[in-house]
Amino acid sequence: MRLHALATQFMHVVEAVGSADDLALAMAAITAEIGFQFFALTHHVDIVAASGSAIRLHNYPAQWADYYDGNALGVSDPVHRASHVTGIGFCWSRMPFMIPLTAADRRMLALGRDQGIGDGFTVPANVPGEARGSCSFANQAGRPMPDTTLPLAQLAGNFAFEAARRLWSTRGHLPVPQPRALTDRQRDCLLWVARGKGDWEIAIILGISEETVARHVRDACERYGVNKRTLLVIRALFDGTLTFTDLFSR
Amino acid sequence: MLHVLQSAARPASDAVLRAMFAARKSVFVDLLKWDVPVLDGAYEVDQFDDVHATYLILAEPDGTHLGSARLLPTTRPHILDSFYADLCEDAPPRDADTFEITRFCLDRRLTAGERRQVRDTLVSALVEHALATGISGYSAIAEIGWFQQILAFGWRCMPLGLPRVINGTMLAALRIEITPETPSLLESGRATSAALRVDRRVAA
Repeated sequence: MRLHALATQFMHVVEAVGSADDLALAMAAITAEIGFQFFALTHHVDIVAASGSAIRLHNYPAQWADYYDGNALGVSDPVHRASHVTGIGFCWSRMPFMIPLTAADRRMLALGRDQGIGDGFTVPANVPGEARGSCSFANQAGRPMPDTTLPLAQLAGNFAFEAARRLWSTRGHLPVPQPRALTDRQRDCLLWVARGKGDWEIAIILGISEETVARHVRDACERYGVNKRTLLVIRALFDGTLTFTDLFSR
Repeated sequence: MLHVLQSAARPASDAVLRAMFAARKSVFVDLLKWDVPVLDGAYEVDQFDDVHATYLILAEPDGTHLGSARLLPTTRPHILDSFYADLCEDAPPRDADTFEITRFCLDRRLTAGERRQVRDTLVSALVEHALATGISGYSAIAEIGWFQQILAFGWRCMPLGLPRVINGTMLAALRIEITPETPSLLESGRATSAALRVDRRVAA
């Protein structure tokens, strides 16, 4: 069958799926058609901690899935991290050129190979405001990458993730409590914290006392419910209170 | 305020059009580095900005640009058939009731929350315009990084062919079907987004 006809057929199928089981069946079928053995459709969160509200559908070997969950790899998985630096599907063999791989990453990839997951192709799925996600297709080590069908894998990944979004949105989603917005002065202080300044330096830059700076930062921590400055900066960057552009423009 | 302008040669809407061309220059040339012509160093205007183009423009009452899109009739030369026919498995769509969405543009001055609001309003305006004028479908070319977002609006999309890497960018052509059900699909799409949103202040 021509690839595009196959794509169109798959789109019609996933459009009509009414349950996660239906979607899993459709995924297994298209995965085989495009030359892969395994698929994984997932939000990039700690699946065990997220308890059902996050998308997760796969046909990976059970042993590997247990190990993966047990070690909360959904958060640190290098495949997931790599999918955050591109909007386009990529082969796992390209990861070393996309993100720095740590020794633990290499161990994890090697272990995955031992457990039956060799090379794969991952389609990043990013909808602004939502947890990032992806759709991966994989083979056991030694099977060739089906290069000619990768454009179809790209489309299938995008459509499958959209189908999963629709299915999962109707499940009981635990609302995340929203932090109170920072005051402008708290944000000013935080900006300089993020740029690496200490309280004394910030006090001089902003023309206020060191104690006042400390209090602003403490209050900001309280609003986010965190107790470390590093966490505070990360949370503020994540929700858009600070942007990377703020940090680097002087 | 929504302006639907059928022709670039209407003096009364000069200010709104000029603001749109300036916003397009800011987004497509300055930000996205597209290699497209610029007029007077300030306005992004190309060969398709002629009397056949229709513009949907969201603007403040004083004319300040918020968001806009350009619609080209597919019965005349348009971008998909002129430059990217390879993205279509069959011949590019060419029907009186199919229009091509191009230059979907959200103003750079908007905050993340405003962007999302303007984006949703513009998408709804596109659907309402189609239903009011007998358009049954839109064709569009999307960078693959945007594809997930376009699908997430909830309307019915079908790929016109497989994605391809062209000049270093992976592009895909798609058809967006417009039927009387489309407005309720958009509503479901928004409900899905609201249910999955992890942070209401994250950048759009």
